[in-house]
Amino acid sequence: MPRGMHKSRTLRRVYRKAPGGAVKLHYRTRKPKGASCGSCGTTLKGVPRERPKKMMNMPKTAKRPERPFGGVLCSKCMRSHFKSEARKVSVNV
Amino acid sequence: MFEVGRLAVKIAGRDAGKVCVIVDVLEGNRVLVDGETRRKKVNPKHLEPLGQLVKLSKGASHDDVKKALKPLDIETQDTKPKSAAERPKKQKVNKKELAKDDPKAKKESKKEAKKETKKEEKASKESKSKK
Repeated sequence: MPRGMHKSRTLRRVYRKAPGGAVKLHYRTRKPKGASCGSCGTTLKGVPRERPKKMMNMPKTAKRPERPFGGVLCSKCMRSHFKSEARKVSVNV
Repeated sequence: MFEVGRLAVKIAGRDAGKVCVIVDVLEGNRVLVDGETRRKKVNPKHLEPLGQLVKLSKGASHDDVKKALKPLDIETQDTKPKSAAERPKKQKVNKKELAKDDPKAKKESKKEAKKETKKEEKASKESKSKK
């Protein structure tokens, strides 16, 4: 029987293979929501979904794509942003 | 639209938002670009053309691009290869000198000395027995 605390769904369940081949149930803390784009709201790619403590120990380059607005805007929104910016400039010229 | 000398803004990748000039139009839907960005081949889908043209010859060198962009206050990025740093040479290890400093090495040297003395004793015994 699982422990009482493991019967509620506060902890997520992870199946792990033991060295002997048996599949065991592990209980882990739940992950936070994935990072999302600031303008369209889709989940960002290249941004890991981890607990703050794990994120703290990760290098900066592992936490976001290496481009302007990396980790803030999705690539589509970033492109459209720079496109509109360029068109403003070209109109002024 | 993408001819040599056309000013454009890069809108994708790590050079996004930087101004560049088209230096050459290559085969296979590619364009050579130089300027604030590094000099590189680019898909024109990743460029947004600006209304300006700069006088440039096809395949102009980086220095020419630099000169052409100076009056427009566009700083070019110099991408010269770094001179490789000198490799640290492997130094030969002098075991005798190490033995002076390292306590571990000292022990080993003592062991070796013991072995040698034993060998000598054996040899001396053998020689005595022969006599």
